[in-house]
Amino acid sequence: MTESGLPLAGLRVLDISSFIAAPAAAVVLGDWGADVIKIEGPDGDANRRIMHDSSNYPKGEVNYPWQMDSRNKRSLVLDLKQPPARAALDRLIATSDVLVCNFPPPVRDKLRLTYDDVKQVNPKLIYASLTGYGETGPDRDRPGFDVTAYFARSGLLDAQRYEGGPPGVPVPAQGDRATAMTLVSAILMALIHRMKTGEGSWVGTSLLGNGLWSCGVIAQAALVGAYLPHRPPPDRPRSALGTIYRTSDDRWLQLTIVREDKMWPGICETIGCPELLDDPRFATVEERRKRSGELATILGEAFASRDYEHWRKTMSAHGITFGVISRPQDVPDDAQAVACGAIVDTAIPEMPRTLANPIRLGFAEQQIAKPAPALGQHSDQILSEAGLSRDEIASLRASGAIR
Amino acid sequence: MSEQALPLSGLVVLDISSFIAAPAAAVALADFGADVIKIEPPGEGDPHRHNYKNASYPQSDRNFPWQLDGRLKRSIALDLKNASARAVLERLIGRADVMIVNFPPPARERLKLRWEDIEPINPRLVYCSLTGYGETGPDRDRPGFDITAYFGRSGILDAARYEGGPPGLSLPAQGDRATAMTLVAAILLGLRQRDRTGKGCWVGTSLYANGVWANGTSAAGALIGAKLPPRQPPDRPRNALTNLYRTRDDRWLQLLVVRDDRLWAPFCAAIGRPDLAADPRFTDRGERRTRALELGQELAPVFAAKSYAEWEGVFSGTGIPFGVVGRLADVIDDEQAAHAGIFADTTNPEVPRTVNNPIRLGFAKPRTSGPPPAVGQHSEEILRELSYSDADIAALRKAGALG
Repeated sequence: MTESGLPLAGLRVLDISSFIAAPAAAVVLGDWGADVIKIEGPDGDANRRIMHDSSNYPKGEVNYPWQMDSRNKRSLVLDLKQPPARAALDRLIATSDVLVCNFPPPVRDKLRLTYDDVKQVNPKLIYASLTGYGETGPDRDRPGFDVTAYFARSGLLDAQRYEGGPPGVPVPAQGDRATAMTLVSAILMALIHRMKTGEGSWVGTSLLGNGLWSCGVIAQAALVGAYLPHRPPPDRPRSALGTIYRTSDDRWLQLTIVREDKMWPGICETIGCPELLDDPRFATVEERRKRSGELATILGEAFASRDYEHWRKTMSAHGITFGVISRPQDVPDDAQAVACGAIVDTAIPEMPRTLANPIRLGFAEQQIAKPAPALGQHSDQILSEAGLSRDEIASLRASGAIR
Repeated sequence: MSEQALPLSGLVVLDISSFIAAPAAAVALADFGADVIKIEPPGEGDPHRHNYKNASYPQSDRNFPWQLDGRLKRSIALDLKNASARAVLERLIGRADVMIVNFPPPARERLKLRWEDIEPINPRLVYCSLTGYGETGPDRDRPGFDITAYFGRSGILDAARYEGGPPGLSLPAQGDRATAMTLVAAILLGLRQRDRTGKGCWVGTSLYANGVWANGTSAAGALIGAKLPPRQPPDRPRNALTNLYRTRDDRWLQLLVVRDDRLWAPFCAAIGRPDLAADPRFTDRGERRTRALELGQELAPVFAAKSYAEWEGVFSGTGIPFGVVGRLADVIDDEQAAHAGIFADTTNPEVPRTVNNPIRLGFAKPRTSGPPPAVGQHSEEILRELSYSDADIAALRKAGALG
């Protein structure tokens, strides 16, 4: 697949964003052929250092989060507080299609990077805004992070807990990465609009909005006054057929029986308890719900008697819907993770495999990941493409406006 | 805002899918103007219509999830297993732009609904596939649900837990709804490709790949052998000043005193324990870290003595940072959520407010939704648009193809 065959080939994206949700959206655009220019301040995107700075990140010898969130980008360092650098940015904006921005609103004002500022420079530009909490309102200026805006403020963490237990724990950047796909969709909508009308536009999304979209079922329930009680812990489930069981090798199986009426006989057989089928205590869905604790004890003992591999095979053979609770370290070796396109090879020697973006297209493969750029690696190249002369670049560098 | 101005107006989408991720993607397209035709089995229709009775859902006599995932669609009840239905389906396909399918691969083969079956009928169609685990590989035929494929298999649930505790919890359809945004992006890329080449295409994603993407930081770490550090439960903090504390009213306060070099004394004063500031056990940062457990034990009863609202009052204006662990009951009336466009009014009196599409566009607003369709509510209307006569329609009904 040549690059020109990719659906976003020819599209130029300025990624003036930091950390994860917005840069990850730019990665997805780059995966599909866009020329993504990452514009960083002299200190670089703090995401370059997050693996070391955050106590919640797995530590590796390779800076894998940076590689993943910056693959196939080119880096330009511009100190946007300096007027000559800001002027150079306008020259880039004039020849770009998309600008991704996640500065909090006051910073946008200060740097003249609001949509109103940049559309004067390029009326066909698509301005993609990511905020924590939206573009207006009492908390619009508050910096938003995935844990605080997507998970905590949205009510997700409060809902994601066992009865009596502490709030749930999100995994690093979980909400950021989900939000990235919304931002990509918003940008693609704007491209359609531009094709139809010739006009650029503002598009955006917020972490808070995405957190609530993802828990839309319970948020919609709250809007009609219905609430989900906190989940009883695994030994006291609401439904013994929709809970988790520990296996003999200390792993967990997630039973997910949606069409319980159809699958009940298969379950009894699978766990080697065919007598349960004739047991009047568990004859109907209602009876099984009513006695879920009793049933969970029976099932818990059965599942604890064999290892996870045994259950995986037996349940698949009986067509019982269940989920393996994989450990993160199981995923890299899971053939299905490769088959579904989640894990792909890279052209980065020290990190030979990475995660593809989850979009699959029959007509194109994602660009192979090349090493993420060093800070300012492409500054000269990008500025000279934008029409700056060698002298202009040299004087910008001398003034400290670029690096 | 006229409907013509919406970016997807004029687009015909066939939603031949069930449950949540794929139908929610169709909703997101409808929000921005697409004419979405939901093809459902006669009688009960999409099983998601009955999900509000599911024990793991908030209990309500109103069908709130169906409002969310059925809004703005028209329903035709067609029995795809009935031979007479095929001609109707092909006519629908002939004039559609997008078709969304989430049958497991064997059902697609049986129903002749694979892309290779459909492409000859309409070579300009964008065929969008959602699977649990991908299109090939050992588990491709396995029905996938959000809790199994997105959360369990991807390693999220295992990672999202406190050390020694049970796996984390996901909320109903949480991963489905995040995946819907990936599907939207995939479809929009497919439409762009069609505009460039004149040809339709296959696009898709899987719940598994989306779960791995959301868990991308941990998964990318796992690819190079880095492991996620276990998360300490609140009663065993690594740092007592960035820990969760339970309040008197069983809510949780996320303390975020990162700059305890400056804030230690003001913090002790604010919580009414100036003695701690003078306590030799906790005089410097190093000691507070080393004795995190001891300090946590001092602080836990302090926080448990006041309500969440009282703590908000105590900390307000002190500069002591803490994170809000929101509850949905508050979120639905959160002024900031209104500013961020997170909820929208409907014209359905039974479910007067709904969760808005998280995509925001400067040039268009999502459509207002009315009541979602009853099974087959628009069967005749849609068939007439396809030039079926009253006699044809009656014959289809008689053959049992149409509900």
